[in-house]
Amino acid sequence: MNLANPAETANRVQEKPRDPGKAAKYTLIGLGVAFILIMLVLPLITVCVYALKQGWDVFSQAITDPYAIKALRLTLLATVVAVVCNTFFGLFASWAISKFHFRGKQFLTTLIDIPFAISPIIAGLVFILVFGRIGWAYDFLQTYDIKVVFAVPGIILATIFVTFPFVARELIPLMQAQGNDEEEAAALMGAKWWTIYRKVTLPHIKWGLLYGVILCTARALGEFGAVSVVSGHLRGKTNTLPLHIEILFNEFQLTAAFAVSSILVVTAIIILILRNIVEFKGRKEEGEHVR
Amino acid sequence: MYVELKDVNKKFKGFRALDDVSFSIDKGKLVGLLGPSGSGKTTILRTLAGLVHPDSGDIFIDGKRVNDVPASKRGIGFVFQNYALFRYMTVFDNVAFGLTVEKKDKKFIKQRVNELIGLVGLEGLQDRYPHQLSGGQRQRVAFARALAPNPHLLLLDEPFAAIDAKIRKELRLWLRETINSLGITSIFVTHDQDEAVEVADEIVIVNGGRIEQKGNPADIYKSPATPFAARFIGESLVLDRHETLHGFETYSGYDRAVIRPELIQIAKHGKQPILHASEDGIVEDVFFRGSLIEVHVNVKGMRLIGHRSPEEDPLLPGEKVSVLIYRLYLYNEDKVHLAENVRLKDENTVFI
Repeated sequence: MNLANPAETANRVQEKPRDPGKAAKYTLIGLGVAFILIMLVLPLITVCVYALKQGWDVFSQAITDPYAIKALRLTLLATVVAVVCNTFFGLFASWAISKFHFRGKQFLTTLIDIPFAISPIIAGLVFILVFGRIGWAYDFLQTYDIKVVFAVPGIILATIFVTFPFVARELIPLMQAQGNDEEEAAALMGAKWWTIYRKVTLPHIKWGLLYGVILCTARALGEFGAVSVVSGHLRGKTNTLPLHIEILFNEFQLTAAFAVSSILVVTAIIILILRNIVEFKGRKEEGEHVR
Repeated sequence: MYVELKDVNKKFKGFRALDDVSFSIDKGKLVGLLGPSGSGKTTILRTLAGLVHPDSGDIFIDGKRVNDVPASKRGIGFVFQNYALFRYMTVFDNVAFGLTVEKKDKKFIKQRVNELIGLVGLEGLQDRYPHQLSGGQRQRVAFARALAPNPHLLLLDEPFAAIDAKIRKELRLWLRETINSLGITSIFVTHDQDEAVEVADEIVIVNGGRIEQKGNPADIYKSPATPFAARFIGESLVLDRHETLHGFETYSGYDRAVIRPELIQIAKHGKQPILHASEDGIVEDVFFRGSLIEVHVNVKGMRLIGHRSPEEDPLLPGEKVSVLIYRLYLYNEDKVHLAENVRLKDENTVFI
């Protein structure tokens, strides 16, 4: 029989430890904290400690080095362009996918994820193969004297490629959940698409959009793999901050490498804080309006 | 004929949503499109609104063919099933939306919106957001929003579906009164026949993308035109051996019959005045329904449902009873026939 003897069941209940939750709770918390300390906090502290090891002068010299500043500028340029492009792409893609029915929609949704799925180095190689000396677009680019590979456009393209799913991925589920009713109601009253988008769609997705933009920024700032392939490591020309750090490190200028790293670490922390604020506000508002 | 559909057809991926739909509505009428889910009633409404484009057929509103008129230019107010209120706008902004889009004067908008908020009885709630309102209040906002641009035709998609049963009845009456006082031609969709009967001046029964019957509620109740209408309206039960029942032996050519509780009288055994026209039955179940008592009786292997007043002597399961059937709706594939109990007729002639 499947039914257990009631007396037996009662005994089993009594055999259980008095408070099974507590031990498990503290073990899990302990493991989590230890893991984060060893894997995340310790390295970050090391970066900062190393950066300041030889004193403030060496630190400030490293980060005011003309090459470091040029690298920072290039990184910021690539990030801003990538974020703007991907925000537009994300808005259009999510709009198309969530509000219209068309053939190959599922395929398009899957394609958006490609940059998440493949290694950035492959993305870089793809650009070399397309735009580089051996690439099929090389002759065309050469005629018009456009440089892509080993130049700034290549770095921007690689950054865009690596970060383009972020905004779209954030918005698609949000807009699908919203449905088309409100837009339909607005259209029926004669509102034009821009009015509908601004007054009905945008208020619904604004926190998600901001969240996507922040994630996209974080990823773009730190991009190394794809950019490394297309950059050619020309100091002061095609070096981004992460690439600059790599060069310093390879030249055994450890303090300088860590000093420059600390810039990225600080921006990362700021972004994390922003991210949390946005997530919190977005959740709060969502909880209020979606009921 | 204020609104008219002529041979309207619509297919969705091979599924025939509308099958030669034709009907017309007079100005100022409140019409209910009634049918089971998936029958095409919402598609009819959306076609009228211009949200769905028919494959063939013509749509006329106020004498004008509107097939090629875009939705926003048809002068239609639409109340969506879940109201589709703009959730990031206040009640005021929701109602004002249509007027703002038309770029009306600010002063005029304010006056008109306040007038409508007064009409739907939501004074003082102008600054609330939709999530701060109850279901009934949301419906009123949706109603006011649809009316704001002064439409000639109001379309309501399942206007009561998202509301608690308790408030629903109250809202039905309110909606009927408000629409009648405004005199605006209105069409609403529902799957609930009580709702259709109570609210509508006229009912259009829709099934399988076709119009089954159009008429006022009482006529549809009394003389269903199609087998579907007979089965769908009222608390209908389908019988398959009606020819074995006393008084209905002579009707032939129909496979099935529809019977409703109001067509049956159940009395204690032998207490039935017109005994030769009635049947013996055994009570199977008795349910107390508040204002009436529902009795399930087994007559010749068929289960019939009848009502009795709580004032009458109570019946118990297993008890023998006399069942008098006044009428049946006989039907086959395409015909319905209202069959009177023949033995009852004979009796009447004897009395007179």
